[in-house]
Amino acid sequence: MQIFITGYGVISSIGLNVEENYNSLKNKTSGIKLTDSTIFKNYKVGSIQYSNEELAAMFNLQTKGSRTAILGMIAAKEAFKDHELSSEIRTGLISGTSVGGMDLTENLYKDYLKGNFNTEEYKHHPSGVTTIEIAQELGLEDCFLNTISTACSSAANAIMQGARLIKNNVLDRVIVGGTDALTEFTFNGFRSLMIFDEEWCRPFDNTRNGLNLGEGAGYIVLESEVSILKSNSKPIGILSGWNSSSDAYHQTASSPEGYGAVLSMRGALEMSCLNCNEISYINAHGTSTPNNDASESMALKTVFEGNVPAFSSTKSYTGHTLAASGGIEAVYALLAINRGVLFPNLNFSQAITETQLIPQKIFEEQKRVNHVLSNSFGFGGNNSSIIISSLN
Amino acid sequence: MYYIHAISSISHQQTFDLDSIHNGLVKLTQESPLITPEFKDILPPTALRRLSPILKISLTTAIRCVNDSEFDGIVVGTGLGCLQDTEKFLLTINNATSDVLSPTAFIQSTHNTIGGQISLFLKNHAYNMTHTQNALSFEISLLDGMTLLSEGKSNILVGAADEKIPFLELLNENLIKTEYSFTSLATFFNLKNAKSDKGIFVKDVLVLANSKKDINEVILQFLEKNQCNPSSLTKVYHSDLEISLSTEKVNYLDFTGYNYAASALAFHIGVSKLSEDKGSILIVNSLIKNDLGLILLER
Repeated sequence: MQIFITGYGVISSIGLNVEENYNSLKNKTSGIKLTDSTIFKNYKVGSIQYSNEELAAMFNLQTKGSRTAILGMIAAKEAFKDHELSSEIRTGLISGTSVGGMDLTENLYKDYLKGNFNTEEYKHHPSGVTTIEIAQELGLEDCFLNTISTACSSAANAIMQGARLIKNNVLDRVIVGGTDALTEFTFNGFRSLMIFDEEWCRPFDNTRNGLNLGEGAGYIVLESEVSILKSNSKPIGILSGWNSSSDAYHQTASSPEGYGAVLSMRGALEMSCLNCNEISYINAHGTSTPNNDASESMALKTVFEGNVPAFSSTKSYTGHTLAASGGIEAVYALLAINRGVLFPNLNFSQAITETQLIPQKIFEEQKRVNHVLSNSFGFGGNNSSIIISSLN
Repeated sequence: MYYIHAISSISHQQTFDLDSIHNGLVKLTQESPLITPEFKDILPPTALRRLSPILKISLTTAIRCVNDSEFDGIVVGTGLGCLQDTEKFLLTINNATSDVLSPTAFIQSTHNTIGGQISLFLKNHAYNMTHTQNALSFEISLLDGMTLLSEGKSNILVGAADEKIPFLELLNENLIKTEYSFTSLATFFNLKNAKSDKGIFVKDVLVLANSKKDINEVILQFLEKNQCNPSSLTKVYHSDLEISLSTEKVNYLDFTGYNYAASALAFHIGVSKLSEDKGSILIVNSLIKNDLGLILLER
């Protein structure tokens, strides 16, 4: 059974929709910059330059929610814009998030510490509530909803679970992806881990020194063939392989040889029945931390036996959007396939000494991009890889 | 078929390391404590030092489900995740006087720490998933475990856990509105297609979110789909709901307390009941308005 992709939507620091994101990718415009926020201090972040109220008004949102939910609503609505709900098509929503409504909760806790707080605000906190709020905005009722929280692999795992539930005849159509807002909680969390670079992140560069955080949301719509016959949706790609494995090395670090990453890439390749040389482009996890990029490079060399295809990390544009990254990057994979382009890895100058891998450096057009491998590796040792293929 | 093999719970009841738990249940009060085993007999010293209660009870019950072969999937459901460490880190960032923050609470605050700690302890490289759909997290995890077996895997660890922190009490009567005491609990079990000694299996599970449907109607449709005559049900465990079936009904919240993983403990109670005698048990989870989880257990 094939899993068709029939819609996509994205919001990030490089654009409020698919087209804006594409133009920024094409023009090498990064969304990462210093802000005047007191929270992020002298650190550059990939933030979306509108408040929750502005976003709600711009996108005419009817449902209230945390910033995580608002970003999710915007991207999920774009993904689902050419679709209609129907009692004939069992439609679900699976969304990844790592912080849920933390942007509201952290302010609530400030008031709580002062001894006076509005408990109502906490109702947006649970990650599962962000998904309910997105579902309400989409008009989804009496359906399967789920939230996956496996840190930075959340959206990739949501995509996987959606495909599996279609294959197992639980759903006909499902909106899958992820959303995460920038919060003081995650900012300070990553700061405490000391994995920020004060400069622009440089994935796969020998001088890389950490990541820049970002925010955003990305969703795609998966459908079975039977569902497409009813919905008349136009497929834009096929989800041809997926795998999730566990590194089981350390709570926050990846194993030096990228054991879990090797397992997830090989698993996805095996499922898609593709040979390594059939992969046209890899959208790497590429957070730009010394640990991830070394480990992922080793894993790429192991899986592709030295012949690593064109690869890049688009986190050099968006920053690391955590649980949303797999959703945002799935949209970019679809753009690469449908527009025949390869996206560059910004800020690269010098290959990692040990691995000598050189990422895609320029924006290339008129390429034949048939199969894209997209990696998402989460803190906690969750390694997930998906493969998106062209229709023919 | 989805057979339940080992099952283990830590809760505010006497549940740990007991073959049968359904007969010894007591109605919980606000004072009923979490009943924990001697963790030092089970967990390594580093875990004893570093892990929060939810991680300790989850890892301990997961360890009790280990069998001779490696798990080829680990699935965890948690509604609110690692609340104690989340709160600890929130307080850390608000009270910080220097620029240097301790990362421990942050590292252990993410929902997937539970599954991550289990995979680290077992050195397990298989599928490792964390579902967090409020009070339906357990049912969704169970469905995922069953899906993995349908896909050809054979030895799955499924569980759910949630912990209470004093902060939750402050939300009561406003946001939550419950007469039941807040609790912490973890239930893990081993799901296989290979038949177990007792032969207790999950017949079906249903997850219905954002729904205004009549629950009693949904229950009847669910039973009919599974060719289960309502009069043949041994017991129905529910989360304080008017159920029109004439079967013997038990409000499991009396025994689990208010907890997003409560239906996981109800599941263990149901398995315990079925280990006594053949029959079928329905677990109805409507803890949160508009969300419904149904599980049909049989032996």
